[in-house]
Amino acid sequence: MLALRDLFDAAATPEASAWLDGALRTAAEDPQRIPVLFPQIPRRAGRQYLAGGLREAGAVRVETGAWRTCDVAGLAILTASGIPAEELLADLHDRGDLEERTMVLRALAALPTRPVTGRLLGEVQRTNQVVHVAAGALDSNILARTLDEGGDAVGFGIDEFNRLMLKLAFVDLPLARAIDAMRHANAELSRMLQGLATEREAAGRKVWHDTNRAIACAPTEGTVARLLGGLEHGDDHHRLAAAEGLARLDRDDLRQFLRERLARENLPRIRDVLERAVKTAAR
Amino acid sequence: MRIFEPHIHMFSRITDDYEALAKEGVVAVLEPAFWLGQARTSVGTFVDYFDTLIGWERFRAQQFGIHHFCTMGLNPREANDDRINQDVIDLLPRYLEKDSVVGVGEIGLDDQTKTEEKFFAAQIELAAAHDLPILIHTPHRDKMKGFQRCIDIVREQGFPWERVLLDHGNEETIKITRDLGCWSGFSIYPNTKMSPERMVQILLEHGIDHMIVNSAADWGVSDPLMVPKTVARMREAGFDGAQIDQLVWGNPTSFFAQGGRLDPAAIGELLPVDRRETFTGNSILRGQDPNAK
Repeated sequence: MLALRDLFDAAATPEASAWLDGALRTAAEDPQRIPVLFPQIPRRAGRQYLAGGLREAGAVRVETGAWRTCDVAGLAILTASGIPAEELLADLHDRGDLEERTMVLRALAALPTRPVTGRLLGEVQRTNQVVHVAAGALDSNILARTLDEGGDAVGFGIDEFNRLMLKLAFVDLPLARAIDAMRHANAELSRMLQGLATEREAAGRKVWHDTNRAIACAPTEGTVARLLGGLEHGDDHHRLAAAEGLARLDRDDLRQFLRERLARENLPRIRDVLERAVKTAAR
Repeated sequence: MRIFEPHIHMFSRITDDYEALAKEGVVAVLEPAFWLGQARTSVGTFVDYFDTLIGWERFRAQQFGIHHFCTMGLNPREANDDRINQDVIDLLPRYLEKDSVVGVGEIGLDDQTKTEEKFFAAQIELAAAHDLPILIHTPHRDKMKGFQRCIDIVREQGFPWERVLLDHGNEETIKITRDLGCWSGFSIYPNTKMSPERMVQILLEHGIDHMIVNSAADWGVSDPLMVPKTVARMREAGFDGAQIDQLVWGNPTSFFAQGGRLDPAAIGELLPVDRRETFTGNSILRGQDPNAK
C-alpha cells in the first residue's frame, strides 16, 4: 500500500496529525462511521500540499506534490481496516461534496483497480468538473495502470481511456501529469485530438498545448502535416510540442524541416530539441 | 453596509435575486433546508436536495460573489410523513458534517403533532452530537401554544439557549424569547407576518441584542430584499450604523459561527467572481461572455 504518512506529518499541523490518529482508530473500529468522518477531513486535516516527488508502491506511481494533507487523510481513513469496499467508495463519491469527491478520486490512484475504478472514472468523464478530472486522472499512473490490469474488465477500456484523454485536452490539463498514459497512445486517440484541434482552430479558440506532443506518440493520417505546421506556429508552446513530436517520429524524410526551423529558431528550449533531433540524423 | 441574510431559500429564487442581493450589500446567505411546496415521497429526493444545497446552489451564489451556507434538517411539516421521516434522520449525520453546513434546521413544529415532537427532539440530539446550533421554525397556526411547546422541548433536551434561534417571531413571542437567552428571529414579509415598520417598533422597544431579521424568501409571495428594506426603515427611525451592523451582520454571524465552520472575518466582502468556472461542467451563463465584467 502506498505510504504517505511521513509527508502528511511534515505538512500538517500537530493538531491535524492527532485528529487523524483518532479518526483512524474510529474508522478501524467502526467502518460505518467513515461516511460521517469523511466530510470533516479537509477542515480537520487541512488542505496543505505535500512535498513533491514521485512515490511508488508496487505498480502504483503517484506525484505527491499534487496531494494535499486531506487527500492523504482520506486515503488513510479509507484503508484503516484494509482495502475499502467498492460500495463505500461509490457512496462517498456520490454523496460527497466537491472536496469529498476529490479525496475519493485521489485515493483511487493508490487502490487496486476494480469496477468502481471504471465507474468513478466514468463519472469524472461525465461531470466535467475540472478539479475532479485532475484528481481522478492526473498525478498518478491510474489510467495506464487500469488498462494494464484489465481495462475492459473494470469498465475502463481503450475507448474510455481515449475519451478521458480527449477530456484532458478539452479542459486544458497537462499531458505530463497523466503519468505513463502515453504508453497506451493509439491512432484513434490521435485522430480524436487532431479533430478537436481543427475544430478549435476553425472557431478561433485555444488549442491544447500538448496536442502535437500527444499525437506524435501514435501518428495517424494528418499527424505529420500538423506537426510540420506546428513547427512554424507563433505560439512557443505549440512550436515546442511540434519539435518534440517530430523528434519522437525520428524520420529521415522530415529532418530537413527541423534543420530549416533550427536556423531561424530563437527560443533556447526549442533549439535544444531541434539540435538533438538533427544530430540523431547525423549519426 | 454588509448583510448576512440568515434565512432565505435561494433554491427557489432566480439569478436576478442574487444580483439584487449583492447590489444591496448582502455578502452571505444562510439557506435552511425546508419543504418544497409539496410532499416528497422518498428519501432520495432529500438526498438530491441536500446535495444541491451544498453543491449547485452554493456555486450559483458564488457566481454572484455571495458566500452560501446552509442548515440541514427534516422540516416539521414533512416530519409527519412516515414514508420519509426516519430515513431522513438516518441520513442527516453525514450531511451535518459537510463544510458549508453551519446548523440544524429548519426544525420545530408546524401542526404540533406528537410525531413532529419526536423528530424535533431527535434533531436537537443530532445538533448536540455534531456541535451545531439549531434554527427553529415555529408554527404559523396556534402560534403561541406551538411556540411554548418548542421551548419546552428544547428545555427537556437540555440544549443551550445560546445555540437556539427561534424564528418567525412577532410582537407576542418576543416577550417570551427575550427572557430565555436564545436568539429571536423575525421573518419580514411584504404582506403577512412582520413588516419592516412593525420590526422597527420591536427593535425600538426591545433593542438589538440577540435579534435576527430575515426575509425567509422562498417560492411564495416574498421579497428577498426585506432585510435591506428593514435597514432603510431603521435609519429613518434613528438607528446608527453600528446598531444596524450588529443586527444584520454581527448577530447572525455570531449565532451561526458557534459551530466553528463559519469565520465572520473571512466572509465580510463579496467573493471575486469568475464566470469561467463551472460546477460539474454546468455554468450559470446562457451564451454570455464569461470574461465580461
